[in-house]
Amino acid sequence: MVCIRKATVDDLLAMQACNLFCLPENYQMKYYFYHILSWPQLLYVAEDYNGKIVGYVLAKMEEESSECHGHITSLAVLRTHRKLGLATKLMTAAQNAMEQVYGAEYVSLHVRKSNRAAFNLYTETLGYKIHDVEAKYYADGEDAYDMRKQLKGKKHQHHHHHHHHHHHHHHHGGGCCSGEAKVEGKAGEPEAKAE
Amino acid sequence: MGTSLPSREGNLFKLIVKSYETKQYKKGLKAADSILKKFPNHGETLSMKGLTLNCLDRKPEAYELVRRGLKNDLKSHVCWHVYGLLYRSDREYREAIKCYRNALRIDPDNIEILRDLSLLQAQMRDLDGFVETRQRLLTLKPNHRMNWIGFAVAHHLNSNGSKAIEILEAYEGTLDDDHPPDNERCEHGEMLLYKISLLEESGLLERALEELHKKESKIVDKLAYKEQEVSLLTKLGLLEEGEKEYRLLLSMNPDNYRYYEGLQRCLGLFSEKGHYSSDEIGQLEELYESLAQQYNKSSAVKRIPLDFLEGEKFQKAVESYIRPLLTKGVPSLFSDLSPLYDHPGKADILEHVVLGLELSLKTSGGYPGSLDKEPPSTLMWALFYLAQHYDRRDQQDIALAKIDEAIVHTPTAIDLYSVKSRILKHAGDFLAAAAMADEARCMDLADRYINSECVKRMLQADQVTLAEKTAVLFTKDGEQHNNLYDMQCMWYELASGESYLRQGDLGRALKKFLAVEKHYADIVEDQFDFHSYCLRKMTLRTYVEMLKFQDRLHSHTYFRKAAFGAVRCYIKLYDSPSKPSAEEDDEMSKLPPSQRKKLRQKQKKAEARAKKEAEIKTEESQASNASKSVKRHVKPVDPDPHGERLLQVEDPLLEATKYLKLLQEYSPDFLETHVLSFEVHMRKQKRLCALKAVRNLLRLNADHPDTHRCLIKFFHKVGSLPAAVTTAEKIIWAAIEEERLTYGQLREKSLLEANASFFETHKDSLMHRAAAAEMLFVLESNKKDEAVKLIEESINEPLSIKGLLGPARKWKLKDCIAVHSALEKIFDDQDAALRWKLRCAEYFPYSTYFGGKKCSAITKLAHHQTEETSESAGTVNPHATEFSTNGNLEKSEGSKDLAGQLHSSLVLS
Repeated sequence: MVCIRKATVDDLLAMQACNLFCLPENYQMKYYFYHILSWPQLLYVAEDYNGKIVGYVLAKMEEESSECHGHITSLAVLRTHRKLGLATKLMTAAQNAMEQVYGAEYVSLHVRKSNRAAFNLYTETLGYKIHDVEAKYYADGEDAYDMRKQLKGKKHQHHHHHHHHHHHHHHHGGGCCSGEAKVEGKAGEPEAKAE
Repeated sequence: MGTSLPSREGNLFKLIVKSYETKQYKKGLKAADSILKKFPNHGETLSMKGLTLNCLDRKPEAYELVRRGLKNDLKSHVCWHVYGLLYRSDREYREAIKCYRNALRIDPDNIEILRDLSLLQAQMRDLDGFVETRQRLLTLKPNHRMNWIGFAVAHHLNSNGSKAIEILEAYEGTLDDDHPPDNERCEHGEMLLYKISLLEESGLLERALEELHKKESKIVDKLAYKEQEVSLLTKLGLLEEGEKEYRLLLSMNPDNYRYYEGLQRCLGLFSEKGHYSSDEIGQLEELYESLAQQYNKSSAVKRIPLDFLEGEKFQKAVESYIRPLLTKGVPSLFSDLSPLYDHPGKADILEHVVLGLELSLKTSGGYPGSLDKEPPSTLMWALFYLAQHYDRRDQQDIALAKIDEAIVHTPTAIDLYSVKSRILKHAGDFLAAAAMADEARCMDLADRYINSECVKRMLQADQVTLAEKTAVLFTKDGEQHNNLYDMQCMWYELASGESYLRQGDLGRALKKFLAVEKHYADIVEDQFDFHSYCLRKMTLRTYVEMLKFQDRLHSHTYFRKAAFGAVRCYIKLYDSPSKPSAEEDDEMSKLPPSQRKKLRQKQKKAEARAKKEAEIKTEESQASNASKSVKRHVKPVDPDPHGERLLQVEDPLLEATKYLKLLQEYSPDFLETHVLSFEVHMRKQKRLCALKAVRNLLRLNADHPDTHRCLIKFFHKVGSLPAAVTTAEKIIWAAIEEERLTYGQLREKSLLEANASFFETHKDSLMHRAAAAEMLFVLESNKKDEAVKLIEESINEPLSIKGLLGPARKWKLKDCIAVHSALEKIFDDQDAALRWKLRCAEYFPYSTYFGGKKCSAITKLAHHQTEETSESAGTVNPHATEFSTNGNLEKSEGSKDLAGQLHSSLVLS
């Protein structure tokens, strides 16, 4: 029913429109450009049978931190397209790319404490765990859960090279932890909407 | 730099430059001032001081100093460079390029200036210049990776792919065998993929494939590798291998439709238009059956066959597709199947199937032929589907009956209210649609989607103030719609602009349309930083894709709609200058004189207050800027929040022309572009431009009513002008005459005859009849009655659809409204307009415009009020408090906040 594919630059305006229509955390166009021009593999869209963008995931690599890891900036699925498992499919696609291309050790995201639906999706379906709580993370004063998911490819690697695991993320991709980020998001961090 | 200075001052000068680079502007200013004390006319110091001040938002001083600096030292590349930087910061790229070029004349090998120049050239698409600058940079610094890449990209953009490939290969030749080091693997892989895409683009498919295979181990992005490989295989006609690859890709992502399409292509089973022979259909069926066994979780393998199957097979497949989705309660089921409605046969089958399911669910509680009981929700989703089905078939009566039945069944399901709202909108009851959407919104205040939907409906019902109050419940600072503007919320701005335009408030309408235009200008600007960033990041394929996207940015729908809106506003403004907006006019005229005066005073006071606030805030921001060096948080207050100044333009048609040009360049295939161009140029008396618009209309759709209108109006106007006198006029006349001969419609016919023949050809279509009638009236103003009769004699034929529950007719509501407005305004025949209204009220019983007997304006007196009162949130949504107090819905923390906000907004209103 809905096509899951990598986003192209031509999808960005529709992604922004989708975000503005259904999420309270919004970004200017430049922030979308920044994502796709930095990590073109990490943006996915859900496109319905009429060619309309009904969901997307916007993700990035954290470049400054020592541990190479991915981060979900924003995930959205239109209310009209719930119950199709789109959020799971989008997340899985982005996570796979983080792991395969950049050798990410884990992926992180923030979610509103009150957003039970999204929280359940992350914990139950996708295997995220609460790493921390960030007080007053959102502009309206709400707290966020800082959640993380270990990526399985890495676990496998751990098993074999655990004696120098502090360095081994350099064996993979590695490109993720270089280069400088110039563009900052205008809004707060992301919010996800579950199906 | 600073060479003419003694060593103490020379060091100070270096300090200025360093302070500028490290953003320590105050330190830089101090150093500059101490040099200037001794050497008040030192050009480079003056320039640098200006540049520093520019960063502190002191523009006028900055320009003054930089220009003075340059005057004092015309031979300094620093002064020219600084001048260029200043222009660049103001987005005056053409001027900046000139300055850089002057700087380079003095110091041709200055890397920094060359780099800055190359960025501007990329931004302005000065591609020859870009190649030249990039070449200089590479020659000067061949050991920098970025310079090789930049030179290659420049050639690629300048349509010289093979040169770009050469450069990249030469660059690879400079690399060690063990390249890349671990931390550059990603980037190197991207470069290789870029090179291979260049080979593909240049048609060197075999070399591309060979290179891809050779470099496999160095390409990190395996998915991109596979997608590139399969694209090359298919293009090379290596279909068997292509098939294998597509099957592999499908096993990685069975939800990507493009892989299915690719697989079908490799199997020789793909048709762009979906036309297949029965033999091919058989093969496709087999293919998807086997795929369905492999990917039983993919819905694509079940959905795609519905496109090519027909008749009984379609019926069977669609029923087994629908059943589990109704059981599961998938709200998008109808929208997923809606493309099938373009085949009338399939729509009938769908109706038959779902009605069958409904009946069975009602009688036995399960699906036909099944002993299992379905959960009660299945019936609700079946009704939900049917409501949308009948709405799609323009049978809103039945649609509403179905959705009401569903709501009675499960009053807590929000989606039902959303769909009911949409049906009401289609039926023409915008007020009820907005109220219904508001009811849905109040059932989950934390969900922005239903908030947005509600805002959209309110705007469609021209409740702009209420819509704005509702929308800002989700914008962070609650600071009116500023946040919507900052976040480039264009759907909202467009819908709001269109509503203002409908209401005749041209200032506010223009304000919104121009806001959208500004967003597009900003998006163009956004690319600037990426010209250097992407060369470092090596995301070259995406970078080039982004540049191409930018090159056609203005063909995007939002921009087009905004430009259409703006042009319309300017035309209206030209036609009725210096009149206050109609809305205010109406409001004013309704009031007794004493109150009118009060209102005016109130408005004046409000204006004065806004002005004063604006002044204070600007002062504050200037003060804080001066004291705190960089502080950008203070938003400048909009000095013209209602767009009144936009109405003060000298020449509205000139403004319109700006947007018309963009429309003609980027949306040349839209009728409206040329209709508007026609209207503007007729007013400007630019006959040849108007003729060009007519020519384009004929090219796009010679039979369209608007094409006919423009054609007739044009030659009628030309025919009524006095004979040409000047040579220029004579040339134009001759050109028009010559072109007229090429139009078949007008050959050997008078305009009246041409109009009659147009009428005869299209007499079954309401809109064509209306156009012909209108033109008859234009050509012969004494034939008004005859013209009106042409309209009134139109017949609204029932549509013949199989298996109907009720009648559907051919005419569309919006067309009937257009006809009514023509009768009222163009023909100025109020009796005929009234007759038309009564007649259409029968066809469209829910239409508020026609006052049909089922519309909310008639049924609910509460809504039959002036806009002012219908906009108070309380009356529109009687359920708001009901739902939030009786605890029907669980409220999360976030929604409580929103509920709080909502209450405060209710208090305010």
